Amino acid sequence: MSKTLLTVVLWLCCITVQAQSKDSVTVNFKLFFDHKPLQLKQSYVTVNKDTVTISTFKCYVSDIAIQYTDQTVYHEKNSHHLLDSEIPNSMQIRFPQVKEKVISKVIFKIGIDSITNTSGALSGDLDPVKGMYWAWQSGYINLKIEGQSPSCKTRKQQFQFHLGGYLPPYNALRTKVIPVTIANDNTVNIGMDLAVFLAEVNLAITPSVMTPGKTAMELADISAKMFYSE
Amino acid sequence: MKKIGFILGIAVIGWGILAFSNNLTTPIYLAIPKGWPKPHYNFKQNPLTEEGFQLGRQLFYDPILSRDNTISCSSCHLQATGFAHVDHDLSHGIEGRIGTRNAPALINLAWNKHFHWDGGVNNLEVQALNPIENPAEMDEKMENVIAKLQQREDYKLLFKKAFGDEKITSQRVLKALTQFTVQLQSSNSKYDQVKRNETTFSHQEANGYALFQRHCAGCHIEPLFSSDSFENNGLPVDATLQDYGRVKITGFEKDALHFKVPTLRNIQFTFPYMHDGRFKTLTEVIKHYNTIQPNQHTAATFSKPMQLSDKDRVDLVVFLQTLTDKAFLFNPRYAYPKK
Repeated sequence: MSKTLLTVVLWLCCITVQAQSKDSVTVNFKLFFDHKPLQLKQSYVTVNKDTVTISTFKCYVSDIAIQYTDQTVYHEKNSHHLLDSEIPNSMQIRFPQVKEKVISKVIFKIGIDSITNTSGALSGDLDPVKGMYWAWQSGYINLKIEGQSPSCKTRKQQFQFHLGGYLPPYNALRTKVIPVTIANDNTVNIGMDLAVFLAEVNLAITPSVMTPGKTAMELADISAKMFYSE
Repeated sequence: MKKIGFILGIAVIGWGILAFSNNLTTPIYLAIPKGWPKPHYNFKQNPLTEEGFQLGRQLFYDPILSRDNTISCSSCHLQATGFAHVDHDLSHGIEGRIGTRNAPALINLAWNKHFHWDGGVNNLEVQALNPIENPAEMDEKMENVIAKLQQREDYKLLFKKAFGDEKITSQRVLKALTQFTVQLQSSNSKYDQVKRNETTFSHQEANGYALFQRHCAGCHIEPLFSSDSFENNGLPVDATLQDYGRVKITGFEKDALHFKVPTLRNIQFTFPYMHDGRFKTLTEVIKHYNTIQPNQHTAATFSKPMQLSDKDRVDLVVFLQTLTDKAFLFNPRYAYPKK
């Protein structure tokens, strides 16, 4: 009897291991500058001839859904992920995958929705100690890009873009649909090209945005253009 | 077969122990006074327990929350004055730094949707982040608070009692603080006793109540004596503070000089009054409303000044004093926790 039980347990273990190794898909978010992998603290030149270095990139992606070629959709539950350029692991998100299915699209939101924004003290990636929460005006920072450029007439030539806000009409949440064309086994690569963002920002005039509002809305629109299927 | 039975037995016992250890906390409930509206706070996401309340109380009175360990929540929110900052027009934080507003009273917060004079805080649970991180208040970082608390054996024990293990996180700190502040309930003033038919108003109080209902109750809605909304009450902007209130949060021009309507409960003791503490006495407040010159920005209820006689003004103050709740102001459960 105990032998049978042992066999069953071992068999179950095997299935679990197998499920983890094969039936999952990893979505990799990768930072680029003009299609080359971004190195923090390295100098780049934008199309506006601004010399820039990036020191911080943090971004919430939430409400992730994976659409398959058969039109079925997998929705991740409690889907809130903080991508942080300083933490490589945070840039990879793993989902269960049905082997026979082929992914056609990855759909997600850039930022945090209004319900989560008003839900009180949260934990994990939503912990306010992650540096992505405004205390003076409750709410998450959806996207944070910081760096330096001689084009900025600010202290230490810094630029700081803290984009957020959930109250209408300044809800800075953006939805992104990434079509997946490359039929790679179990990885989907999504690029985020900061050159695209900085091409549309006038660093001399707007070196920092730290509050919800009209400018944050415009920059949120621009930031959504950074994401592409890599 | 026997073995399986044995394993099952162990599992059941283990589960029982686990379930029991989870139940070591003592559930408590906020009693909603008869006739009051449903609280806004969602207790389901933070079920009240005696252990959570006591931890929150300990944190509320502990200066460990501030950068130099000198200022606690109670530094600006004193129980005997309705958890307001008595005698200070603008509240001060560490190193004598002075803020831009008067610390509001903490009363019946379970019914509040917005917090702070400008409503910038959207949930009671995240309110504490604001004073902790504001440079003019505690000037600390939440992660430092966590690190400091983790060094303390007494807190490890309190967190274990409240949450089942010693882990200290920002979420637990904030939920525990909320367990304390959400229970600061004032519902036993003379006004409440009259409403419960336990006593009656004096002639003067009754006249004051009638005047209150006619002139004030539009914004200071009973039984909470607040509408939990924002109004322009005709105060000119302070030239040095340049504080335009709600507009900073919403970005809407129409919200300029709008501030939160505060509760009038325990108003006798929460002086000075208004968002910048510009009035020292209730008489000054009433004189303001008595002579207010309404404009297109002021609240609709100020269509004309009250123009009360001196006698009526006194009666109105006498009524406002019936909102004093000694059982709240001196409730030992809300006091500094004695070891």
